[in-house]
Amino acid sequence: MGLIQIGASILIALLIGTLTRAARNARMYLLLAFSILAIYWFQALLPLRSFDFWLPSLSLALVVLTWLITSPPGVWRVRQNTIGFLIIIGSVTFIDLSRYVLPEPVLTATTPPQFFQYFVFAVIVGQIIFAFTWASRRSPWAITGTIILLIIILIVLKTPALSLQMSIFFRSLANRSIENASFTDLRWLGFSYIAFRLIHVLRDKSRSHQFAHSGGERDKQMRHLPELSLPEFATYVVFFPSLAAGPIDRAERFAQDLRSDFAISQDEVLLAGQRIFLGLFKKFVVADALALIALNDSLATQVRTTGWMWISVYAYAFQIYFDFSGYTDIAIGIARLVGIKLPENFAAPYTQPNLTQFWNSWHMTLTQWFRSYFFNPFNRWMRGFKNIPAWSMILTGQVATMFLIGLWHGITLNFILWGVWHGLGLFLQNRWSDFVHRRFPDLGGNTRLQPIFQIGSILLTFHFVALGWVFFALGEPARSLMVLRKLFNLF
Amino acid sequence: MRKVFLILILVIINNLFLSACAPKSNAAPAKAVEDYLNALVAKDSDRLTTLSCGDWEDDALLELDSFQAVTTKLDGLACSQTGTDGTTALVLCKGKIIATYNNEDQELDLSVRTYQVIQDGGDWLVCGTR
Repeated sequence: MGLIQIGASILIALLIGTLTRAARNARMYLLLAFSILAIYWFQALLPLRSFDFWLPSLSLALVVLTWLITSPPGVWRVRQNTIGFLIIIGSVTFIDLSRYVLPEPVLTATTPPQFFQYFVFAVIVGQIIFAFTWASRRSPWAITGTIILLIIILIVLKTPALSLQMSIFFRSLANRSIENASFTDLRWLGFSYIAFRLIHVLRDKSRSHQFAHSGGERDKQMRHLPELSLPEFATYVVFFPSLAAGPIDRAERFAQDLRSDFAISQDEVLLAGQRIFLGLFKKFVVADALALIALNDSLATQVRTTGWMWISVYAYAFQIYFDFSGYTDIAIGIARLVGIKLPENFAAPYTQPNLTQFWNSWHMTLTQWFRSYFFNPFNRWMRGFKNIPAWSMILTGQVATMFLIGLWHGITLNFILWGVWHGLGLFLQNRWSDFVHRRFPDLGGNTRLQPIFQIGSILLTFHFVALGWVFFALGEPARSLMVLRKLFNLF
Repeated sequence: MRKVFLILILVIINNLFLSACAPKSNAAPAKAVEDYLNALVAKDSDRLTTLSCGDWEDDALLELDSFQAVTTKLDGLACSQTGTDGTTALVLCKGKIIATYNNEDQELDLSVRTYQVIQDGGDWLVCGTR
């Protein structure tokens, strides 16, 4: 999101918050309509013609599909769902028709496709949704199939080689030059976040159905995933402040805010304003300034001295924090203006004394997602194997989780190395902490040494994380190793 | 549900009318060339690609590459359709591209070229020059 888009989002949020005082449904419908417009408006221009229209439209199709297959039969009898569906169809149609009315594209980066093309697309997508919904009424595999579909799309988008092949495929279909195809041609706005929100609902719904049949007591919160109306669900998935950079909220928490009465107050505007201002300062002043000296592929080859290399690594560590947490502050602030309290994503991560606490305070909603949907089920599954020693379970669970978190950022060797670096770090910290507690049980009681241990732990954790960024920031492992050699003067 | 279908059908019919009655302006090919030249001087390769036909895409990007080392701006751009050649619209432009390198300006006269513009998927795309 650029400054203009942030500014417009603030104004729209203020307008929605002010106009819909205590009118819950009106607020929800307006949020849905603007969120739909926003996914088209925020979508970057792509070299594949009209893809800035087709990709957001597919996002919406996936939203409707997921909602339908996780809802009980007869949902169309509820008036709210019908209105929500008409808002979605009406908004997309309105955007498409703007090509015939507006002299320049305003809501999309390029002119939307012809109405006939849009109509054919809508009919095909409608039939696929109908087929999946029909299948879901007969077999629970439709939900699993949708999760697999979302994961496949994520893999394709996150793997440069597959993304490139997909671009070549679409270019050949459109009779375009395949020599100019690039893996960056398919930059689908917010899909990583959209997919994770959809998978969360699909997974919880499928689990709640299983437990409803089996009568199990575990994971009680899964039983409490409420039935969401279409406008509630669609607003949750494509909510405009958290579309591009999260946080990944939980559906039931978001719906609770939507269902609550909200009247914007002066205090609320002040608090939201402070948060937005803080976010803007972090992102556009601190992070953008640090970007000038932060580690990147070209700087990695230009920096000659160890001292400057450390400075560029520190600068990157703080740049990525201020950039990401700045966007989160902006999202949380804008959401407050419309009565939605998005979850926090950062809690002073660089002041944490160990890696576990770092991951409990860095991109917290992503970590919680992986904990709920991978780490905990994976550990439960591994506990079934009685012969596996505890340490190897911890090692496998932590490395596998961090490996997947690495892949979520992009399926490249460097992101994998970054994930494994943290997985191994978490394992070592776990073993070390276990060892210290067993061998030196009274160590924690020594009040004189406590501050020294605390500061030492914070510095050690920060440096471990900062060295991990060397893999994250650069494109190739060889370059990362070169930087690490320079950092430790190992020429 | 029946009401929803009725509304949808009405919307579709309305839209088909709207799209069919959309003005078939002569200005559209000229506007496409103006957008193309604006994307060229802005060195916006993604936009330039979406404004070029498949056959011209490589040449358009080559032309953009030739401007990479200089700062560019348009001066007095105004395009108009001068005729057609089969399904190809011919567009002539006035004005110039000013390319600056090391405080030295070089002016590229746009009126020496006629742009060939074709319609694809309802959009006018630059597809060559004469």
